Amino acid sequence: MTRFILADLRRLWAGALVVVLLVALATALGVTVTLQERALRLGSARAADKFDLVIGAAGSETQLVLSSVFLQPAPLPLLAGEVLPKLLADPRVAWAAPVGFGDSFSGYPVVGTTKALISSTVAGLAEGRMFDKEGEALVGAAVKLPLGAEIKPMHGSSATGGETHAGVVYHVSGRLPPTGTPWDRAILVPIQAVWHVHGLGEDEHHDEHEEHGGERAAVPGDVEDHADHDHHGIDADAPVKETFAGELPGLPAILVKPKTIADAYKLRQAYRSGTTTAVFPGEVLTNLYATLGDARLVLSAVAAGSQGLVAAALVLVTVTHIGQRRRQIGALRAFGAPRWAVFMIVWLELFLLVALGVGLGYLIGFTAAHMIASAFTVQSGIVLPVEFARQDLLAAVVLLASAAALAAVPAVLAYRQSPARALRA
Amino acid sequence: MLSLQVEELRISFPGLAAPVLLIDRLYIDAGQRVAITGGSGSGKSTLINVVTGLERAQAGRVLWNGQDIARLAETTRDRWRAEHVGLVMQDFHLFPGLSAVENVLLPARLARAAGADVVTHAHELLQAVSLARPDQRIDSMSRGEMQRVAIARALLRRPGVIIADEPTASLDAEAGEAVGNLLLHLAAQTGATLIVVSHDQRLINRLDRRIALQGGRIVADRAAGEVAA
Repeated sequence: MTRFILADLRRLWAGALVVVLLVALATALGVTVTLQERALRLGSARAADKFDLVIGAAGSETQLVLSSVFLQPAPLPLLAGEVLPKLLADPRVAWAAPVGFGDSFSGYPVVGTTKALISSTVAGLAEGRMFDKEGEALVGAAVKLPLGAEIKPMHGSSATGGETHAGVVYHVSGRLPPTGTPWDRAILVPIQAVWHVHGLGEDEHHDEHEEHGGERAAVPGDVEDHADHDHHGIDADAPVKETFAGELPGLPAILVKPKTIADAYKLRQAYRSGTTTAVFPGEVLTNLYATLGDARLVLSAVAAGSQGLVAAALVLVTVTHIGQRRRQIGALRAFGAPRWAVFMIVWLELFLLVALGVGLGYLIGFTAAHMIASAFTVQSGIVLPVEFARQDLLAAVVLLASAAALAAVPAVLAYRQSPARALRA
Repeated sequence: MLSLQVEELRISFPGLAAPVLLIDRLYIDAGQRVAITGGSGSGKSTLINVVTGLERAQAGRVLWNGQDIARLAETTRDRWRAEHVGLVMQDFHLFPGLSAVENVLLPARLARAAGADVVTHAHELLQAVSLARPDQRIDSMSRGEMQRVAIARALLRRPGVIIADEPTASLDAEAGEAVGNLLLHLAAQTGATLIVVSHDQRLINRLDRRIALQGGRIVADRAAGEVAA
């Protein structure tokens, strides 16, 4: 029987190939949607994993998470600087670190932060050493800059028509290990450098009078909109100072690691009033997925619809095909092939093709999801884990079961047809 | 070595007023070589279908060695036909993509009846029909060669009756004669009853008995040598 089926398929290879490809493409569409959605969910959840609590100025929670965790360039309202020392002194806080955005270099975001944040979120450096001076920078694993490279930050990004900060140069002192998060594409510099570049905090004459800088910071507004940014520079050799006290410039966000889960909830409660907002990135993402879930549902419906169309087309094609082969099937019966053998030949032939298509479709879907994920990683730094889950196996079983049922339609037709009538036709 | 006895056979098709086949009584001895003739619509094909069990007799009895195949269920009838009837048809019904020997063995294989002895027999039969290359693909054969493969297939399971429906109609005279020779020779060798539906006068003349059908009825039935009445 196998030889007969293979000979038959060899003879009808073009039609068989089309059937396999049709099934493969329809399957791949569904598989890609499922895998990609799961990868996006897992990947972004993992990217947010390190950041338990994010505190920012009152405003959009989603934007706060997108900007601080995913380093999406967008203006954020500033948080009063005094929140930081308050948090640092809070016994419920394991560590708290400010982040400052707004600059970029060669498409990489420049993020001002502290040694505390870096050493608490990654285990050691891949190469080089931590920044010790204001003019030093750490680069993420995906930043294509060698140690010692010069970084001349640009205000905003080149894509949005930013301009280079005159006289500001960082040197790469070390590289972080890969984290699979957008921070892999970031250039991390001391937060004080970001303040100095933008004329905030301590002024560039380095006169230790922090009150002067504080006045500027008290002006609320967005770092990016600061008009006189290019009049300021950094003191590249000044040591990095991370004792945040007194009056500090406004901050876009503070990342906080609470000591316990209970502390996390208490802190969120405490900083969810009036001028500040505190969010769990995981929770914000969950809300975001709820919205995305609808989009996924639509895509899944489109994929399922296309699979249904292919299934209908296949039934049409095979029923026509069986009609054309009536005589052949009748002859098989006449020469002594039992009915079940006729059924099995027709059923196996179609089922083999569909199963092959489903298998190929999973492969194509997986590859496509991988390619999309890689492209996404290059762009955003977020590693999207494309992986199969138990429910995919279930979906495959359901798909194959429907293929088996589908293949039975022409097989039953062949089984039931009278050989004498078929031979007369 | 099967004898056929048909009694009060009546076949009607829906939509047709007159029955397509109406045979009160027909007896064919085991080992006899019979020609069935008649124009199109005379009921020849229906008779073949009924006696091979491809079509079920609605009324009457079709007894092979006393066993009424009209009473058998479809699956049982299929099995009975596979074991007892060797069919040869005008259109060969060989399967492209398979070799000669694979074609000979296909029905037996599908019925799970192709043991080692059957495979050996298939090769013997191909030799008997003068085909030297059992692995030659069917697609590359002449029509005469194809019909010889079909004859080998019909004889594979040592049937008690060989039934050929216009076996030479689609062949040229030379190939037709070779096929006719083979049928007669192999039927004689195995002792099988031979029933041939044909228009081919040269083939008809070589058979023992001629039955003429017209409008579904037997209008003539005479032994070879008898002069038409």
